[in-house]
Amino acid sequence: MKIAVCVKQVVTREWPIRVNEQKTWIRDQDASFELNEPDAYALEEALRLKEKHGGEVVVCSAGPARAAQVLREALARGADRAIHVESDALGSADAFQLAGALAVAIRDEAFDLVLTGLQSDDQGFGQVGVVLAETLGVPHATIIMDVQVDAAAKTMRVKRELEGGWFQWVSMPLPALLTIQSGINQLRYATLKGIMTAKKKEIRKVSASAVPAARQRIVSMYVPEKGKKTQMIGGSPAEAAKELVKRLREEARVI
Amino acid sequence: MPTDRETLEVDVLIVGGGPAGMGAALRLAHLQKEKGGEPLSIAVLEKAREAGAHMLSGALLDPRSLRELVPDFKEKGAPLAAEVHEDRIYFLTEHNRFKFPITPPPFTNHGNYVISLNKFVKWLASLVEAEGIDIFTGFAASEVLFDGNRVVGVRTGDRGIGKHGERKPTFEPGVDISAKVTILAEGVRGNLTKMLVRRLKLDEGKLPQVYAIGIKELWEVPKDRIGPGVVMHTMGYPLKNEEFGGGFIYSMPDGLLSVGFVAGLDYQDPLFDPHLAFQRFKLHPLGRELLEGGQMSRYGAKALPEGGWHTIPRSWMDGALIVGDAAGYLNSFRLKGIHLALKTGMLAAEAAFDAVRAGDVSAAKLQAFETKVNDSDVRKELYAVRNVHQSFAHGLYSGIAYSAVSFVTNGWWIKDPMPSHAGHERLSTIKEYYEGQPPSPEASGTPVTIDRKLTFDRLTNVHYSGTRHAEDQPSHLIVHDTDICRTRCRVEFGNPCTRFCPAHVYEMVDDGQGGKKLQINASNCVHCKTCDIMDPYQIIDWIPPEGGGGPQYDGM
Amino acid sequence: MIVVVAEQREGKLNRATWETLAAAQQAGGPITVVVPGALVAGIAGELAAADVKEILALESPALEPYTPDGYVAALAGSIGELAPALVLLPHTYQTRDFAPALAARLERAIVTDCVAIKGDGSSRTYVRPMFQGKLSADVAAEGPAPHLVTIQIGAYRADAAKRGASAAPVRTVAAKVDAAAIRQKPEAPFKEAKQAVDLSQAERIVAVGRGIKGQEHIALAEKLAKALGAEVAASRPICDSGWLPMDRQIGSSGQTVAPKLYFALGISGAIQHVVGMKGSRTIAAVNKDAEAPIFEVADYGIVGDLFEVVPAMIAELEKS
Repeated sequence: MKIAVCVKQVVTREWPIRVNEQKTWIRDQDASFELNEPDAYALEEALRLKEKHGGEVVVCSAGPARAAQVLREALARGADRAIHVESDALGSADAFQLAGALAVAIRDEAFDLVLTGLQSDDQGFGQVGVVLAETLGVPHATIIMDVQVDAAAKTMRVKRELEGGWFQWVSMPLPALLTIQSGINQLRYATLKGIMTAKKKEIRKVSASAVPAARQRIVSMYVPEKGKKTQMIGGSPAEAAKELVKRLREEARVI
Repeated sequence: MPTDRETLEVDVLIVGGGPAGMGAALRLAHLQKEKGGEPLSIAVLEKAREAGAHMLSGALLDPRSLRELVPDFKEKGAPLAAEVHEDRIYFLTEHNRFKFPITPPPFTNHGNYVISLNKFVKWLASLVEAEGIDIFTGFAASEVLFDGNRVVGVRTGDRGIGKHGERKPTFEPGVDISAKVTILAEGVRGNLTKMLVRRLKLDEGKLPQVYAIGIKELWEVPKDRIGPGVVMHTMGYPLKNEEFGGGFIYSMPDGLLSVGFVAGLDYQDPLFDPHLAFQRFKLHPLGRELLEGGQMSRYGAKALPEGGWHTIPRSWMDGALIVGDAAGYLNSFRLKGIHLALKTGMLAAEAAFDAVRAGDVSAAKLQAFETKVNDSDVRKELYAVRNVHQSFAHGLYSGIAYSAVSFVTNGWWIKDPMPSHAGHERLSTIKEYYEGQPPSPEASGTPVTIDRKLTFDRLTNVHYSGTRHAEDQPSHLIVHDTDICRTRCRVEFGNPCTRFCPAHVYEMVDDGQGGKKLQINASNCVHCKTCDIMDPYQIIDWIPPEGGGGPQYDGM
Repeated sequence: MIVVVAEQREGKLNRATWETLAAAQQAGGPITVVVPGALVAGIAGELAAADVKEILALESPALEPYTPDGYVAALAGSIGELAPALVLLPHTYQTRDFAPALAARLERAIVTDCVAIKGDGSSRTYVRPMFQGKLSADVAAEGPAPHLVTIQIGAYRADAAKRGASAAPVRTVAAKVDAAAIRQKPEAPFKEAKQAVDLSQAERIVAVGRGIKGQEHIALAEKLAKALGAEVAASRPICDSGWLPMDRQIGSSGQTVAPKLYFALGISGAIQHVVGMKGSRTIAAVNKDAEAPIFEVADYGIVGDLFEVVPAMIAELEKS
């Protein structure tokens, strides 16, 4: 089985986010970056499928030169090779551009399965995987909690998460694309041997010239501010409790 | 259950990817090129998730070692934030400041650079990797491997162990890395170094190391408030005469300021609180004028070895060398150690290279490191100031007086070496220090209001250190007898760990029976090592948590 | 014209549709509600009460059960014919499954997870969270209309959707879907207790902090949670002490939540906790300490002893 895993490099969660002067993106020159966590689960799932069915895991990323860091990390964890669609502009690109860039990279490789994380920790569109499936012309399913592949029949059965504790099994033919829900598996650690062999693995660079135009534009970015002023409720505990229940019911309407 | 352990063999293993470790790695790569022959296998172990993430310093860089190691460092894009063009030294009282009319020569910083050690080490790491050397980040060395008393490598920590010591499904046993020479570049109070010093009595005939804690914040203030390249140091307030230390403010471009406070970990007042002293420093007009209206963006803390020349343990042994802060190569008088870390790393690389090539890694062969240090400007620099910190043990004024005299005598003093005690031994009990007068909350200075704009509580500060640990793992802070905490220590010292820890790791909470018990918030730990150093009963052991855990000191 | 795509499963309307309708009404202009499904007359009738121009029942047997292939084909055809300026959808798991593919099929922009719409016409921008809610962004959709926009659950109030003076006309249209071309074969949905508690899905949360004092008092918080229809969560010290399991922890080392109501009991409001809950729609806090930072983020605050306030609240809630 030939599996592609699309991963993104995002700023670390611990990095104190600052908006640039134009308020159109973050000031990420000094940031530290890491593998988008949902993508780590997608990678782990791919590695487990390979262990079960054999084949190859190819990790793909569309991003600036620095994105090579997460590709190397994926190679260290066990991916066989990597494809890097490299362009500085891809660091803040929208979902159509990212999906377009990734499609260029993987279209000719005839993958049986393409996996992505559910969404990214930065822009959080949750679109790239689904748009990529449409672009590649393969069926997809999202928010996946289990993957069962019948390699011989070239089909699979996957468990989708629905809202409110509901789930659903869905079958579809391969090739296909899945977006993987975080927590589907437990992530393995990179080993020293993995890190060393990663160096010898191929990272193929692909030109980002065929990236489509953006379909959305950030006009302004800002720190969300609390709109309402805190209403302090006084009186005896019983009075305060009564008043709070009243306001939650009639004013906030949350109970 | 037998553990299927990964093994790795290298010629030279460097434990710790700071300036000393990177200096060693890079020098080894250069020696390789110069001398040719069968290439040595070299590896660097670093406990942080990525190179530089645990790096914290002021930082001022004296570029002399860098110039030697990477002559074209500017062309290679060394991240130097600003060249120093102005030095200011102040003596502070509670409300006033007195600027020293001239800057004494050892304090001048002309030709030095204000840097972010985090960025600097990331850059060094890129040079090391470009030489084809493996830097294994996210791996903490947890044990030294011996053959008799010869060091033959290290074992890295197990990963995937749960809170109660159980193996999780992701369990990955530590790796045994064997090396002909192990260079310990763990930084201040390294856990392996500490163990080696004890086992091999490397500190025999040496003075006990004394430490300080440095607490630092990164600030962004309006650009027009101060230009880049100004270096300020303060003495006096908020410290008492008997306490060693002071504040610093270094300016970088775009209104970025490094603001910090260093306090000697040999204070006597059991109620002294370095974090609080730092808040007072920021509230002093000098700090307030610069910082008010600005924004704090990063926080961190790290101990530093201040004892100097006479406290450096024997740094060579069968199969291993100790370099940088791990050994104590730091000039506390100039508050600089990066160039010494780089340089001792380079010298150790030379000694290790020759030893491996000669097929003799015995202590006698590796003693070449000591010879190289003695022949270098490292000794010249450190020997001249060998008694400085010890002289401050008698108070700020006598320290300044000694420092002045020492220029004339080249560091000589009537008692040379000046005697000294381990810092924690100087800590008085509440009863001794306050002479039976029950201390009021203000006993240790004026009260401080935490506004979370200019001043911060520890927990909020920790958030800004970017600290993250795998949550489900055993505590990496081993307190050998927690009974002492709730009984003796509470009475005698008032649980000083709750004050000297800058990260709110130690907390005394209600035990439900009218008393208090110790709670360890291990995942707040910023790896500064102060608890391991300053605990008056010496019952705290800092061991590395699961690899990859710790602070994320971007830009620090 | 704005198209609102209604969501239904097995003949039951998803309430989030009404929220999206409210967003469409506030954006202005005539509204057509498209209801995809096999037999949706009932739902179309229910939605006809809204103040909209028309309800379009987009029917085909191939649309039941839901598949992304079926929905993309049906809606691409329908939206192509209607040629609206804007298409609004509730940001549900189902929308997330098909809407990006629909936008790609139509070659149009899609902006997801929006909490507000600013401006009108071509100058419209959509407010959406980024960087896990640490920032908000005003985003403009580029390229020709229609633009697809998905509306975050809870961002608009369902009861804010205006009802019409008379029922809106319902038009039934056969969806152009080739059943044979649908590649996903879904099975019947089933319910399963997730191993980890997914607090991010909870509508209401009662969270306890140190002020709860002891494990024996957790029951009090659970009682309040029951009365409010809420899940119980906690700040870090509670989980560290083992009084509640780690998967109940809110904050930087636990879960990030944004429920309709976040009720903080005895939580001081350390930044590590606040980053995990400040996106909640309404925050109420009870704390002894008037200076506790939790009151800086709270909408309603009571300075007092939670052991007095909470029983009084439970009594008040159980009264009605």
